[in-house]
Amino acid sequence: MGNAEIWMMIVGVSIVSILPRILPVAFFSRFTFPEVLKEWLSYIAPAVLAALTALSVLVPQGVIDFSLKNHYLWAFIPTIIVAVKTRSLFFTLLTGISVMAIIYNFFIF
Amino acid sequence: MTKKELWEGIRDAFPIVLGYVPLGFAFGILASEAGMSVVQATAMSILCFTGAGQYIAIGVMKAGGAVATAVIANILVNMRYFLFATSLVPFFKDNVPGRWATLLSYGLTDETYAVAFNRYKKKPPTTSYMAGLNITSHIGWISSTFVGALSGSLIANTDKIGLGFALPAMYTCLLVLVISKRTELVVALVAAALCLGIGWVWPASMHNLFNIIIATVVAATIGVIINGKC
Repeated sequence: MGNAEIWMMIVGVSIVSILPRILPVAFFSRFTFPEVLKEWLSYIAPAVLAALTALSVLVPQGVIDFSLKNHYLWAFIPTIIVAVKTRSLFFTLLTGISVMAIIYNFFIF
Repeated sequence: MTKKELWEGIRDAFPIVLGYVPLGFAFGILASEAGMSVVQATAMSILCFTGAGQYIAIGVMKAGGAVATAVIANILVNMRYFLFATSLVPFFKDNVPGRWATLLSYGLTDETYAVAFNRYKKKPPTTSYMAGLNITSHIGWISSTFVGALSGSLIANTDKIGLGFALPAMYTCLLVLVISKRTELVVALVAAALCLGIGWVWPASMHNLFNIIIATVVAATIGVIINGKC
């Protein structure tokens, strides 16, 4: 991609990432949603985050990897324990990153 | 604007920024490797603020793909924001003026969404809180991209210091934070299984993240159906 094309890409990606975030807020705000739709929407967060977690841990290289050689799977165990116990983003990240560094440097298998 | 709410937003953004530092930094490095200037990489983080989408765009660039490919891939990847934004709309009503809610939704990401959603379930949103949370997170993303792009390929291997696991760890914790009911746990497990299953049957969906959209819509529907019976 040339310089002009890179800028075109940046602007294009920007438009398609901003619109889906602001359009619902701009247009749906005047409506009152029915209860069942509100309930459905309340499940979006757990569903998307579960999908993202599963993909990021089990598909680190683009293909599903359930094997013991998947370092992410090992790092996931202490990470989720700390997340459940502390409910702190800070301590969870600290745990995840440190455990991963230890695995990477000392347990290459 | 109330100072207390603004500060609470900024405070809640701190751990998000902590996670964005390695991700934005790595993005900056990859972007410069792919041929972007420091200005372009930073501009992209200012204008797009979409982690996965930006990484995909860089991937397309590196592979010699077309501008349209990067944009179309981003339409698919960013569809989840539509669901996020829609699910926050009921909270904004009577609490955040429409214009502010719209403007500040620019800063909606997986992370700011999870943190905001979790808070709004207990406490109504305010413009100040939203501003504190979203703008602080965005600044964190922009500045780490800038530093990453500047340092270019000085850092040979970010995996060595465990940074590769920053994003999975962040998702894991956000997931734990948004689950408070049994039905939500069931929805999460169904979504995870479906997402992997769809990706396995239809590998292309792993790359455009369409498996996430399908899994989410199905799992949320199952949640509505089983709620009260579980």
